[in-house]
Amino acid sequence: MPSVPAAPRPAASEHAASAKVLGVGFSYITTLPADLYRPGLLDFVEITPEMLCRARRDGEALSMDLVPDKLKRARAICGELPIVVHGVELSIGSAVHWNTSYLDMLDRFQAIWPFHWHSEHLTYQTIPGDDQRPLSIGVPLPLPGTAEVVHLVGARAAAIRRRYRVPFLLENPAHFLTRLAYEPGIDDEVGLMAAIIEQGHCGQLLDLHNLYCNAVNHGFDAFAAVDRIRLDEVMEIHVAGGRWEDGYWMDTHDGRVPAPVWELLEYTLPRCPNIGGIVFELLNYYATKMTVDAIAGELMRAGEIWRRNGRRSAAMQE
Amino acid sequence: MAAGALQCRNERAMSLLDHQIVLGRCLRAVDADPWVSLAGLQGIGLDRAELAELHDLVHSPGFRFTRRGQRSWCEGRSAEAAQLTLSMLSTEQRRQLVNDWVDAGGGAAFDPTSEADAFLEFVACRLSEASHAMTICRMEQAIYRASQAALRFKPPDLSLLDNPNTMLCAGTGAAMVRFFAEPQWLFAAIGAKAPLPPLSDRCFFVLFAPGLPALFRAATHEEAAVWAMLVDPIAMPLVSRGRDKRRTIEELFTIGAADLVPEGNVVSDPSPSSTHHYSA
Repeated sequence: MPSVPAAPRPAASEHAASAKVLGVGFSYITTLPADLYRPGLLDFVEITPEMLCRARRDGEALSMDLVPDKLKRARAICGELPIVVHGVELSIGSAVHWNTSYLDMLDRFQAIWPFHWHSEHLTYQTIPGDDQRPLSIGVPLPLPGTAEVVHLVGARAAAIRRRYRVPFLLENPAHFLTRLAYEPGIDDEVGLMAAIIEQGHCGQLLDLHNLYCNAVNHGFDAFAAVDRIRLDEVMEIHVAGGRWEDGYWMDTHDGRVPAPVWELLEYTLPRCPNIGGIVFELLNYYATKMTVDAIAGELMRAGEIWRRNGRRSAAMQE
Repeated sequence: MAAGALQCRNERAMSLLDHQIVLGRCLRAVDADPWVSLAGLQGIGLDRAELAELHDLVHSPGFRFTRRGQRSWCEGRSAEAAQLTLSMLSTEQRRQLVNDWVDAGGGAAFDPTSEADAFLEFVACRLSEASHAMTICRMEQAIYRASQAALRFKPPDLSLLDNPNTMLCAGTGAAMVRFFAEPQWLFAAIGAKAPLPPLSDRCFFVLFAPGLPALFRAATHEEAAVWAMLVDPIAMPLVSRGRDKRRTIEELFTIGAADLVPEGNVVSDPSPSSTHHYSA
């Protein structure tokens, strides 16, 4: 671990252990049939609130407005299923200008529709432009493994955890920058995530497909990486599909979960004592390219692994 | 361009900000060699070893692949933001417009709608004024503006119009879109992928406003005439001569198609021919 002074830490995974165990979840996707979101097939829904928003610029400031009709429809479709939030536009790793308008929007969202936990990607997607205003770079990029990053993201994660009073998780990203630098003591992406979690007292959303992508593209053993992850801090696991393009395995989230990722799930799940749920993640854009039966098949397979490992869903606990 | 060509200082360790500025700029660059985009960048506090490290990273196969992905995402988001307008154009026109927009830095925002207005304006500037494509482009832009404004729209107090000093302008979330054919015929042809109707000399105006239940409806000739007067700020007494005009203005004001000129936009004009000048 890097030589970063951390605030006194809660007892091992105190915040993780306090999270509710939900079961198997699925991304909220506007273009899919509403009857996919029903108890029995799903235990919870993962909402990306940006999908329910419109960005608006007021002079210098950007704000994100929840669109009442979209929110109303989402609530009607998800019914009584519990929800968790999975954001994509916070840019928690931007050296300056992380997206505070996202947090302002999330304040309003939480007041309307409380969630059990929320998560973001350990990435950045803005830099200062020539006018010093935030400039989108178009795709999320991974962070270098430095003490500065650990301090910056750790402090922001801690502030977020205090602000929403529900667990906050960081997701390990897929990326293609094999030569990204890591300071000694942090060493690699596993070390970086562990150091930030230590600093920020947050949990981890372990995206097994992203881990698999990086293992394939950067040439490391995904199972060995799992062994080094703070699994007591993992509260949610993502599984998803991807595909080959130009010699890289991409995190396209556009189809069925590949066999190696299922194997990773079988290996990892029993080792996560504080897991709250598994989500089959699918991108809105690709959702209609998968049949409802195929989606249901992936959810049932995740559910079968969940139950085989002695996990109970939220519905079973009630 | 060699790594050392970028201005650098040796007294500081690599900062996250510098790292991100270099990678972010290189990611957005349209040049074949993204490092070129850093020429003239001032105040980067990276030493030569750090610059060499980033130079290697930027020229790695993984970064090249990331750039291709970024380009693809930007193109996809832009196309999504102007779906209907682009569907009116040839494949080559579509490709060229999206390409030019992304070359100019467009498509990078994660929410396509946040750039949609600007992209549609970019497209409109490259379309023939009297064309169905222009109509659809302005309509798509009007829908974005009206639906955005509708999120915060509250019907205004009509008594504000009674003040003789009231200045009016077009509502920011409103638009009057001219069609060159009966709108239903045009949409039917678009939907059926049939030949589009010929351009008519007759004007068919559709009004978009945040206070309308469906955000749009056919405009009356009176409304179109008043709207034309609101392109520049105008004093209420000048625009409302006649009882019918007053009613029309009240209707436009109620739905957000007409608005009061913000007080801060009024500036003194020394010209003797007018008492005030208003910036739109």
